[in-house]
Parts: sequence; structure tokens; C-alpha cells
Amino acid sequence: MRKRVTGGRVFDPANGIIDQVRDVVLEDGRIIADPGPGGSEEVVNASGCIVLAGGIDLHSHIAGGKVNLGRLLMNEDRALFPEPFGDFCGCGGGRAAPTTHATGCRYSQMGYTAVFEPAVVGANARHAHLEMADIPNIDTGGFLVLGNDDFLLRLIAMGEGQQAINDYVAWMLKATQSCAIKIVNPGGINAFKFNGRNLDLDEAGPFYELTPRRILNTLQRAVTELGVPHPIHLHGCNLGIPGNVKTTLATMGATEGFPLHLTHIQFHSYGTEGDRHFSSGAAEIAEAVNAMPHISVDVGQIMFGQTVTASADLMSQYRNHSIADPKKWIGMDIEMDAACGVVPFNYRDTSFVNALQWAIGLELFLLIEDPWRVYLTTDHPNGGPFTSYPHLIRLLMDKPFRDHHLRQIHKAARSHTRLESISREYTLEEIAVVTRAAPARTLGLKDRGHLGPGARADVVLYEDQPDREAMFAHPRIVMKDGEVVVVNGEIVALTEGRTYAVHPPSDPLMDKRLERWFDEAVGLKSSHYQIADGEIRGGQGPEIVELKP
Amino acid sequence: MSSGETTEAGAARIVRDVVCGFCGLGCDDIEVSVAGRVVTPRKACADAARLLARGDAPPPSPRVNGAPASLAEAASAAAAHLKAARSSVFSGLGADLEGLRRLYDIAMVAGASIDHSASGGLFANLDRLARRGWIAATLAEVRNRCDLLVVFGDDPAASFHRLFERIMPVRTGEGGDAAPLFAPSGRRVVMIGAPFSDASRKVLAGHELSEILLPPEQVATAAALLASALAGRDIGAVDVLSGTAGASLAELADLLRAARYSVFTWNAATLPQADAAAVASSASEAVDLLSPTTRAAVLPLGGRDNVTGAHQLALWRFGYPLRTAIGAGTARHAPDLYATAAALKDGDLLLHASAFRPDPAPEFSAGPVIALAHPDTSFAREPDVFIPVGTPGVDHPGHVFRMDSVVCLPLQGLRPAELPSLAEAASAILANLGRGA
Repeated sequence: MRKRVTGGRVFDPANGIIDQVRDVVLEDGRIIADPGPGGSEEVVNASGCIVLAGGIDLHSHIAGGKVNLGRLLMNEDRALFPEPFGDFCGCGGGRAAPTTHATGCRYSQMGYTAVFEPAVVGANARHAHLEMADIPNIDTGGFLVLGNDDFLLRLIAMGEGQQAINDYVAWMLKATQSCAIKIVNPGGINAFKFNGRNLDLDEAGPFYELTPRRILNTLQRAVTELGVPHPIHLHGCNLGIPGNVKTTLATMGATEGFPLHLTHIQFHSYGTEGDRHFSSGAAEIAEAVNAMPHISVDVGQIMFGQTVTASADLMSQYRNHSIADPKKWIGMDIEMDAACGVVPFNYRDTSFVNALQWAIGLELFLLIEDPWRVYLTTDHPNGGPFTSYPHLIRLLMDKPFRDHHLRQIHKAARSHTRLESISREYTLEEIAVVTRAAPARTLGLKDRGHLGPGARADVVLYEDQPDREAMFAHPRIVMKDGEVVVVNGEIVALTEGRTYAVHPPSDPLMDKRLERWFDEAVGLKSSHYQIADGEIRGGQGPEIVELKP
Repeated sequence: MSSGETTEAGAARIVRDVVCGFCGLGCDDIEVSVAGRVVTPRKACADAARLLARGDAPPPSPRVNGAPASLAEAASAAAAHLKAARSSVFSGLGADLEGLRRLYDIAMVAGASIDHSASGGLFANLDRLARRGWIAATLAEVRNRCDLLVVFGDDPAASFHRLFERIMPVRTGEGGDAAPLFAPSGRRVVMIGAPFSDASRKVLAGHELSEILLPPEQVATAAALLASALAGRDIGAVDVLSGTAGASLAELADLLRAARYSVFTWNAATLPQADAAAVASSASEAVDLLSPTTRAAVLPLGGRDNVTGAHQLALWRFGYPLRTAIGAGTARHAPDLYATAAALKDGDLLLHASAFRPDPAPEFSAGPVIALAHPDTSFAREPDVFIPVGTPGVDHPGHVFRMDSVVCLPLQGLRPAELPSLAEAASAILANLGRGA
């Protein structure tokens, strides 16, 4: 059945359409060129609404082992936020580490239709995929964590050529059905297994004697040469450490011309100025991002309240575990691939450090000029639950609202931020870019993040309201693949999503090599590590993202 | 890709690299021969061999009140009982993730508490993990890094036959990919409790073995004393343990401080029940005390019949571990109320699911019994509904978690699927409850 969304103000920045009243026509799960009136079609009245493509979150920890450990630790949060009763209740809940069903429903209720799990550890990939298959109403994909895996570090340390690295990366992407490569603390997680406690960009790690810079550059070259659309998605060195702004700036300068995505950059933008030796490095970072067109970032905004942090970066999480709140945490070294650390946090506006972290995130959003290179994230749940996005959007769009909140935070933090002097307010067009068009573009999803003919019929109608938080929390209508799944912020239908993956080719010799590695070093058959297409979503198989030529 | 590299050997087909889902160790290099319905293990530990072997008997049919019935009739009868029940108890839960998903779907629609037959050890460990946490390592990390392994309780090889072969191999030759990559080839293994079995001594030849022999009831005290010694207390003079164990533990503490990556392991299911949680806690404490200066981790053993998968799925579906009551849009986690034995005291229906082995259903007489179980299961009381189901990894494919909670393995069907999988049986029941699967 054809649907005509009519009378709404369309914001489709990918196609240069900004605030134009026009029809969007949907058929068979796709947006089609308007065939004009006639034929049978269902009319969806969008008057009073803005019309956007479905939201895309490119960095949100929604599935896999570390999320489940988060759920285990966050039983009080789970009990406080049960799913609402009704036809679409999944007997789950939770806000910091919500259950699968709740995750899909809450995202869908905000107008999101695709979410990417940014830290799939190879050995845990099958688990992550089984969990993602249980999340309704959103499409998903995983970024594979490399850069601390012993096989790769051995290859680099033994001086193997780039071709061998590329074959390995291609093999791993396909084996784990992932759609991009994430590096978490390059070499650092591995160093911690050898009792290394810090590893800076140009410091050689233990055992392999490789610097994070070398690991980063090697993998940047690999994804570029393989044609993986999304550049290396980097969680850099020294997360959370005051003074790490220097490392972050050095990392941006270390890219050898390759594009680079720096994730949750808020946690990497800290200086050491002032009497508390903790200051905002946002201005320097923003200046560098503005000057370097090959750099993109997502912010990892922190939001005040209870959450849980879940990261592959056990080196950093071990450093942070003493400030766990509540006082419990879990760490794990994982299968020659990576690690994880899960630490509950309660960000308080009365804490100088937390308040300044909050301000630093907003400074970054507001000082980075090109919205196509900054994506809206809280690094869910690490900076705060994704359900806080409507509030965050209002903070960005509404200067008086922002100033009101700024006045509530720790007094000393206020004097350490220039936030009050920044007058910028995000426009609806910019929100459409940072939550839709830009993430789709960087992930290589040509049929997402826009409303042109051929796009997936993921369309969201938000009633234009001065209270942008209320507006983005309760869309009037959300359509997923052309089907209405949310009306007035309430779930009205559940659909199954799809899973994105890239399958670059690799030399069959790499199969042999990895067979031996898995047999001898890992103690598991390589054939059982690899995830078959038929294992994705109960036989549906992955949706393959096209490689760049 | 999955297991099932096959060659023909006369009428029988040899299947290599079979994945085993029984004990939780997740060995995936099993070899069997298959001829028609007959499965004959060729390379497997004793338990796996017993549980994989199949004769030529045709599959039994479902039964309703003891009389043969079709799957559709049995599913309809089961659904009628579930609809009438007010307090259903789902026990066993020995199933692959596909079967568990459908069982949890039934619980959501019909209302039920869920618990696994092997969850005793898991909950002893959760007492520490969920309340305080720990630092753990997966099998391959232990295999390659551990230079000092401390084992509490009985020799774990009795339950996990190939454990030491998997996690403490002796390196043969230099260089290459052979484990251990980062530990000396001669490593140290210390038993605190029972002695090594002869078989374990053989597997561990080449490592330095020592034993601190104690009666089972003293293992938890020894674990606590070891943690005390690591905290810097003088335990040499403490004489609550038999013989010279106190002094031996003090020496072990020194070795642990000097080790590069020590690992503490225990099987909570075989420790005296009251002590299992204490051992988990002391082992985790020991890791915490070592971690500021060196690396250490725990490796809790367990995972029988995919209890780890049942736990993981409950967490991601409901946000709680097992021993949770599901239904009417809510989930209520109360381990004391919903452990199988406790839940049955107030239950009015028992659904027993056990696809991996013919485990008997728990005793229950206060209401109907539905069994989705291994065809060889013998019942003290004929269930009201019995649907014999296939075994994942024998009769049909499926997924199970390994004991370390990280690796999820694909099981392969070995012989023609004549029995319904537990997922198929549960789906048939769901359809009768008005819910498509």
C-alpha cells in the first residue's frame, strides 16, 4: 500500500531539502519519487509536523557480554524502570542497561530506526548478534574491536606486510559479521594483560613493543584499502585522564592523511589547568576538528544521574573502578581478542569533575562548526542512557534552557567553562544532520539518513513545539520500512530489524593461517569462531554494506 | 561456517570437529561416526561419548496421559494445562538458546517462574559477581597467560574431563602458534582441597604440581586464609586447618605475589553448598588484592547443559538472572522463592525441559506435569504431557554458551532430525496459546 506523507515541513539535508512543505511518498518499504495524485494511497497527515528520516545512533552499547554484565550489576535500575504494561510489553525494563525489547521500543519511541553496537569483541560476536536479533523495531550492526588482538599484534610485530594485515581484517569482519572496525585504546588493553598500566600514543607497549600510533596507522590503512566505508572508529589512549587533550590532538595529527573517527571525544578533551588540575580542552579540540576535514567525532555527552559504564578498555576501567557507584564492578580479559570493564557511575551536577564533563561535551557540540562531522551520542550508557537524547537536543537548540541548567551545576565548574558565552543554538536542519544524515553517510548506508527516492521508508513526524525535549521525546508518527510502529510516542507495532555487515574478500591462505592459530593458540576451531550468514537473525542473513571502490 | 567436516567410511560417515554442549567446557574437536540413526563416538571424553551415542531405535511419539499422541495433540494438551495453571514452574531448562527463547516466550504469555537444573553453582557465584563483581578470564587467556593456577575443592577434571588439557597445555616445540604464548611452558598448579587425580597428573606432567590437602569442609576457610595472607596478615600461626596447611598457604601467597598472571578456579557445583559462595568471594578478593601490583583473574567453572545461556538470555530478555517469575508484563526476581525446589512448593504446574540428557523431572504432585525431554527420560510418575525432543548437537543445530560466558558455540545436527527440537515443541505450544513463534 502506497503512503503519502503530506503537509509536513521536510528536513532532508542530504538532498538539500531544508524546511520545505512537500509530500514524501512510500511504497514497499522504500521512498519513491512522487508519482503524482491518483491510484490508491493512504494519506498520512503531517501538518504541524516536521518530517525527518529515521534516527541513526552510530555509537550505543546495546548488546553483547558487557551489556549483560551491566544488566547484572544494575538490578535496582532495572526494578525502577519496568517496561510499561500493555500489548507491547516484553517483561523487561531498565534505563542504564535496558533489556533487548525495551531497547528497541525506547529507541523507536524517539524516532530512531537504526543503532550500531560499537564494541563487538570477536569471541563474543555470536552472542552480540543473538541479542541484536532480539531487539525489535531497529536495524543494527556491530563494529569489531581490533587493535589489541594478539594475532594482529603478532603480524605487525613480525613485520608482515600490509596485505597480510588486510587479509586478516577482512577475514575478521566477515567472520564476526561486523560493519566497521573499532579500536579501543590501541595496544593498551593488551598491555594491561602484561601488567602495563598506561600507554601513550608513542610509547611502545610490552611484549610486542608496538606503539598505539603504529597499530592505529596499520588498521587505518587496512580499512581504507579494503574499502570499508566507515573510517577507523577510535576510542583513543588515556581515556578520562586529565591532560589527555594533548594525546587526542597528537592522535588527530597522526592519521597520515587517512580519515579517522574519534569516538566519545568528550572523555578525551581534558586539560590540567586551574587549581583543581582539571580543565576543559574543548576549545583546542574543536579548533583542531574544524581545521581537519578528515576528522569526525561523536561526543559521548555525559548526562547527570545513575548509569553504568561498559567498555572494552579494561586498562582505563581498572583505573576508574575505585569511583564505582554503587561499589561494584566487573572486569574480564577476553580470549586473545580484547577485554571488558563494567563500572556503575552516578554523574552528579554537584561534583566539580562531572559538572565540567557535562559542560565540555556541550562546548564540543557547539564549537565544532561542521555538523556533518559531529554525531549526537552519549556513548550510551557510558555518558548516560540514550533515553536522555531529547533533553540533550533541547540543550543544543535552546540557549536559555541551557543557561538555566548551567546555573544548577557545581559553582567552580561554571567558572571553568565558557559555555555561557556560546550563543549558538542548533537548528532543526543541524539536528537532522547530526542524528540522521551524517551518521548514515559515514557508515556508507546510501539508503538511509535521507528521504530521497530509493531510501528506506523510515520516516518520522515530530510535532513542531517550542519545547524541543517534548517534541523529540514523542514523535507523532514513526514509520519503519513503511509500517507505522509508533503513534504519539507510543508503540503500536513491532517489526524485525536487519543487521548490517561488510564482507571484504580475503586471501584463502589467511584461512589456513587462522585455522592453525585457532587450533594451537586459542584452543577453538576457526570454523566455529566464524559466524555463518544463516546464523544472523534466525536465517535472515546480514544486509551487506557496499564497499568503497 | 560450522562443524561437520565429513568423510565416508563404508556405510558410516565420519564427522569431525563436532561441538559438544554438555558440560560447559565447549570442546569442539569431537569425532563421531554416523550411520542412519546410529551415532558412535570415536574421539570424545567419557561423558560426551555416553551423551552423544545413539542407537537405531525409532523416535518415540509424544504421549498425553500415557497414551501415544501427535505433536499437535500433545502441544494442545500442554497449552490447555498452562492456561489453567496459576503458578507454573519451568525447571530443567536444559536447552539450546533457540529452545530457551521459545520457553521464555511461553513464560511471558502463560506466566511461569524459570530456573535451570544446574543453577546452584551459578547462584553461589552470583552472590559475589552481582553484589561486588570480580575480574575474570576466558579459557584462551588462561591457556596462554596463566603461570600459577590455584584450584579450590575437588579435582575439576571429574566434571570437566578435558579442562587441564584445554587451559594448561604444555608447549611442544618452540615458536609458532602453540600455547602458551606468554607463560613459561612449565607452569605451577596448586590444588587446595582434594589431590589431583592420576589422569590429571598425566595431563599436567611438565608443570610443577603441589597439593594442600584438606577435608572438603575446610576449603572455604583455606580460601579465606589465603586472601588474608595476601592482605598482609600473618596466617602462619593460625591453626584452624589440618596439618601444615596454614604455612603452605602463606608460602602460596608469596608465590602469587611473584606470579605474572595467576588464576583461581573452582567448581561451585561440587563444593559444599554453604561454602561455594565463600570460595567465590575469597578467590575474587585474592584477585583484588593482587591486582594493584600484578595481574590475576578468576575462572569460575560451570555451564552444564547451557545454564550459562539460560542465564544470559534471562538477563537480556528480562534484566534479571534465572529464578525469576515472568508474566503479565512483569518479571520478578526472587531467588529464594523461585529456585525450583522452593517454587514447586507453591506451584500448580511443572514444565520440565531437558534436551541434553535424560535427567529425571523434579518430584511434583500438586498439579500437571509437562515434560519436553530427552526420549530416554524415565519418570517416577507418567507426565500428563510428554513430548520427546531431540538433543541439540545430535538431532539438530543450535547455540550454547561456554562456561566463560563469552564464547557462544554453534552446534550441528549429526543425524536425520526425526524428533522435534525443543524449540519446535515449544513453538507448537505457543501457537496453541495464541502466540505465533
